[in-house]
Amino acid sequence: MTNSKTSPIQSSSNRQLVAALLSSRAQLRPDISSELLNRDEAAEGGCGVIGMASSVQIPARHMLQALSQMRNRGNGKGGGIAAVGLDAAQFGVSEEVLKQDYLFAVAYMDDTVRAEVEEQFVHPVYEVDHVYEQPQIADYTSIAGLAVRPPEVVCYFVRIKPDKLAAFKDEHDLHNLPERAAQDEFVYQNSFKLNTSFYASLGEKRAFVLSHGKNLLVLKMVGYGDDVIRYYQLEDLQAHVWIGHHRYPTKGRVWHPGGAHPFIGLNEALVHNGDFANHASISEYLAQRNIYPLYLTDTEVAVQVFDLLYRTYRYPLEYVIEALAPTTERDFTLLPEDKQRVYSMLQRSHMHASPDGPWFFLIAQSDLGESGENVYRLTGITDTSMLRPQVFAWQESGEGDEKVSIGFAASEKQAIDAALENLAAEDSRFWSRADRYWNARGGSHTDGGAFLFSVHDDREGQPDLVLSDKFGRPVPAPTSAAAYQPNGAQPQAAQFPAGCPDELFAWAGRQIPTWTYQHVQDFLAGLEAGLGSDAGRSLAIGTLTLLIDRCYPTGGLRRSSLVSLFDASLRRVTAAFAKIPSAAYGAHAFGEAIAAPKSADQVLVVDASGFEPEGEHSLSIAIQKLVDAGWRRLMLVNAKGHRFIGNGLGMDTADLEIDVYGSPGDYLASGLDGAEIRVHNNGQDQLSQIMKAGRLVVHGDVGQTFMYGAKGGEAYILGNAAGRPLINAVGKPRVVINGTCLDYLAESFMAGDPLNGGGFVVLNGMAFNEAGQLEELDTPYPGGNLFSLASGGAIYVRDPHGLVTADQLNGGEFVELSAADWDLIKPYLAENERLFGIPVERLLSVDGRLLSPAEVYRKIQPGAVRALQAEEAWVTKEARMAPRGEGH
Amino acid sequence: MAELHIDLSGKSAEELIVEKHVANLHAGFAHWPRQDDGPPALGDARWPAELILATWLMAEDGRPPGTGLNYKTGASGGGFDKLDFNFLPEADWLPDMLEPDLSIKLNKRGDGRREIEIPIPIYGGGMSYGSVSEQVMRARATAAKNSGTFTSTGEGGYPASLVPLKDHIITQVATGMFGVREETIKYAPIVEFKYAQGAKPGLGGHLLGDKATSTVAAIRESVPWVSLFSPFPFHSVYSVEDHRKHVDWIRTVNTAALVSVKVSTPTDVDMVAVGSYFAGAHIVHLDGSYGGTGAAPEIAKKNIAMPIEFAIPKVHRYLEGEEVRDEVTVMASGGVRTAYDIAKAIALGADGCVLGTAELIAIGCTRCSNCERGRGCPFGLTTTDPLLSQLMPTEWGAERITNLYAAYAFQLKDILRKLGLKSIRELRGRRDLLRYTD
Repeated sequence: MTNSKTSPIQSSSNRQLVAALLSSRAQLRPDISSELLNRDEAAEGGCGVIGMASSVQIPARHMLQALSQMRNRGNGKGGGIAAVGLDAAQFGVSEEVLKQDYLFAVAYMDDTVRAEVEEQFVHPVYEVDHVYEQPQIADYTSIAGLAVRPPEVVCYFVRIKPDKLAAFKDEHDLHNLPERAAQDEFVYQNSFKLNTSFYASLGEKRAFVLSHGKNLLVLKMVGYGDDVIRYYQLEDLQAHVWIGHHRYPTKGRVWHPGGAHPFIGLNEALVHNGDFANHASISEYLAQRNIYPLYLTDTEVAVQVFDLLYRTYRYPLEYVIEALAPTTERDFTLLPEDKQRVYSMLQRSHMHASPDGPWFFLIAQSDLGESGENVYRLTGITDTSMLRPQVFAWQESGEGDEKVSIGFAASEKQAIDAALENLAAEDSRFWSRADRYWNARGGSHTDGGAFLFSVHDDREGQPDLVLSDKFGRPVPAPTSAAAYQPNGAQPQAAQFPAGCPDELFAWAGRQIPTWTYQHVQDFLAGLEAGLGSDAGRSLAIGTLTLLIDRCYPTGGLRRSSLVSLFDASLRRVTAAFAKIPSAAYGAHAFGEAIAAPKSADQVLVVDASGFEPEGEHSLSIAIQKLVDAGWRRLMLVNAKGHRFIGNGLGMDTADLEIDVYGSPGDYLASGLDGAEIRVHNNGQDQLSQIMKAGRLVVHGDVGQTFMYGAKGGEAYILGNAAGRPLINAVGKPRVVINGTCLDYLAESFMAGDPLNGGGFVVLNGMAFNEAGQLEELDTPYPGGNLFSLASGGAIYVRDPHGLVTADQLNGGEFVELSAADWDLIKPYLAENERLFGIPVERLLSVDGRLLSPAEVYRKIQPGAVRALQAEEAWVTKEARMAPRGEGH
Repeated sequence: MAELHIDLSGKSAEELIVEKHVANLHAGFAHWPRQDDGPPALGDARWPAELILATWLMAEDGRPPGTGLNYKTGASGGGFDKLDFNFLPEADWLPDMLEPDLSIKLNKRGDGRREIEIPIPIYGGGMSYGSVSEQVMRARATAAKNSGTFTSTGEGGYPASLVPLKDHIITQVATGMFGVREETIKYAPIVEFKYAQGAKPGLGGHLLGDKATSTVAAIRESVPWVSLFSPFPFHSVYSVEDHRKHVDWIRTVNTAALVSVKVSTPTDVDMVAVGSYFAGAHIVHLDGSYGGTGAAPEIAKKNIAMPIEFAIPKVHRYLEGEEVRDEVTVMASGGVRTAYDIAKAIALGADGCVLGTAELIAIGCTRCSNCERGRGCPFGLTTTDPLLSQLMPTEWGAERITNLYAAYAFQLKDILRKLGLKSIRELRGRRDLLRYTD
């Protein structure tokens, strides 16, 4: 397959080829009575997904921990992986065979079927260069929970017999088709016939095609995604691109591996989180083009649409993504005119193929670049409304032939961190924090809601990983500052000036731009040498925490790599406390008895790593018990996706403080009613849902539906919030977000009158750049829905250039910031300064000039609200008479 | 029946007016059912005048009416009204002295959480503070306590006066999260997720501006006199694994409570039910169309969800096919009006029923459909107006709902005896005992 360089839409010869291709599939149409035409029976289900793409091949085992930490997103009824850009030697073939042959992988579900399949669908049509029988463990029941024996898998490396291809072209008048496209279509149709003969249309399900693209392998079964890796012994299998998936089907007592993700088109495999409502409509759209999905799931339909648009219509990826996730509303109007013209054509033509509902797709593709070189690609696409969680990440090190880049896309950030940590433990080219984490803004004019990690093989030198957005615009690589490489030198404990953590941090912050990694290691060794005393312990904890939390210039050192060293130091420090507890620091780990604190101030270091992510043996339940036992200072370390941290603590917890290190999971601080929780990393989804009182501080980003339905409390966020923060919040929540949000900030906000006890959000629209300096974002708020349908509360947006416009509001109105407004938010900005080192003075400085608050901040408040009913007159009278309660 | 005593000493004119109205209303509720010609305008085809009057009598006496009023069916011309039981010949009936067991288990998972059994196969459905008065909520909760069962908060907060009754109150967590706090989740023996209402699936909740009085807004912590809309989805739940997380969340906050999942009845309700079960629900609560007060739009009530009579057997059979039917309690609501409806719903495959409108009828509702207006309810039920809501005194209401439950229990036992069944649990899924009467 090739990327079309000229516009495919205008090419009439292309149109004829498309018509010929589609009509060649007419013979595939199932019998009218076939259950395949039943489009109402689509299976639904949610999922957990992770994908990674790397310029160097990496083994599958690095997905194990990530998948295992997302098991709550599946139910063991479907798991799968896809790998692209494989290692020829591991299959016993030459590099040339791997890249030139189709990798025809067939799942055999009974012992007798292989000969039949080979007789009908392999030997007559293919020259088989090599047969690779996928290894598997002897006894599938040795993997806990596996209820169905996974299929035997045989990989055939094949070429189409020339006479068969010629006959195929003759039969369907496909001579004008490029050779590769004709071959692809031949393979596609052969597999379709195999599947209908041996899987889909028969009552018994005996064999099906797992994958058939070049240099692409899919394996799947009834189980969890990580089970697939264990069962097929893929731990050491190398590939440039991986996707892993857990499925959560809700339907059917009997499951078949064919229903698990990934699903295939021809040169791509797709996994999906979410579901869509218009499965029947898309199936009809496909049927009109002679495409018949076989497995009755929305995911398969999605990959067929992708394959149709990309392989058959030969649209550029940008147009494929637009057809799937259309750009709408305000974002559409902000597109350049020529894009608007093409996009509106795409939308009109393919409206019925656009999945309607919550979805996030990960696609692994074995593609050809413009000069015909091999491209292995991972693409993540989110739906226009951003209804599913999604996070992307990127890490890069080295230069020239030493350069190693890796990109991720996943349902949860913690899964990415788990994979990175796994990699880092084995391979010094990686470290445990990505350079960047970000979300895509679905259907937007800014990034298009999709990111593509493309590994270009066959170019000069090493394979290269290129990151681009939907529009094909390359995303600049992270800073070129060098990452840490262990050199075997033993760190020498360095001296440093005496002082409190703040002073030591300030000193270190001044030194770091001049330091090498050796200096850093020596400094850390010095810090760790003082753990014999409680003063030394609190100095180490306090200083490391500031070094992890804060943004500062790092000179020639790579920030993410540097912070990984601080993370490691903190782990060593807290592990030392566990060995020798002291008056100031106790320690607790999974399975240990709970003792009472020695004093009210004693800090308990809780090693999260042994606890379950949720349920009876979870970290969250342990925290409840520790609080019941009297602990008021908790320090959670090594969090790995643990959910519900700080939930269930109830009222009367105002004296409780919890610090969280590592990579915490969803729902942290939900329902918080008095306590303070500080997260020294990014947060995930559903943080502080229905929060009532207390305080949340996040030294990073937060995910979807942050503070949904919150009633009160304070929150300080260093970075961004994803979609729908503070939706349906009431009462008096008071929030400072220093970055921005994807969209739908404070929809249906009902938080009273901020000047009279109600709630508000300060949105600063700022971020630290990689040099550690605070910068204004392109716009403080990129979305088209700000403060929609709000009836109370206010947004204070830092917008000195007036970039936020009235068309982003739906029911809100801009008003000038009053002195009372500034008096209200100033203390929160002062606290923000204390927490994050973001000076109020810097916030009020624009282009180097210090302005007045009213020149910098704008207030958005609810527009006039009208009572709707006949009782209006009576009501307004009552409203005047009613006592003004707190918050109203 | 209350008698009119007017003590002119020490009462405000307002109190006297309320007293007079209450006495007259109560006299009317007692009087009309005993008249031969009935009132000129009352009820509708689903709840015909006769059925409303019969319900008033049951609320008064705790027994089925002996007056010849039809207390078994309505006049809708379909559904429950076209189903009847194939009773055994009288000679085969179980003896009167035998008391069939009406109790059902709400936790069948055996997962170490509370084992809750209710002595009658019914509990009260969610009606929020705001949609109804605090007096109505308290009356329902007191009746639940008297009868050993539950009522639900609905989505409008947890008024402090209900806290003493918390062992009989289900805390509802709905899409607007109004009034939901950890504290109210911790009170509850059962926590109910409301995903949708059968009366208006896909529309979310709505409380129009003039019912959102200062007190209603205070408990929801919203802005007074502004219409309140609960979104139709949970914004944190767009997929089944989100739902699983949502359930895990509640199970973390309250480690003993049972989890009920209230859903409406779309065509794939069977899949929704089994998905809820696998996510950890103890109770799957199916809410069909035809329920809802007058505040739910008529066009939604009659045109979106599947009638509960279709949804119950669909779900029951599906859960049987999945071999999990005995692991989960299925409760049905949405147009369940009588003891006969309850028995039919159970014969179709439910474990029990959830009541709403029937309870409001017991305390004076006439189905005038004015519920969405702040001062529209002539009987002081669906109002939060401080004066109007006094027309329904809590103790009077509690007694009437308790009586209605007793009358239902009496009839359910009678039905079971006539079917030769010793327990309501034996009736579940016995579609063979029903016949279509057309």
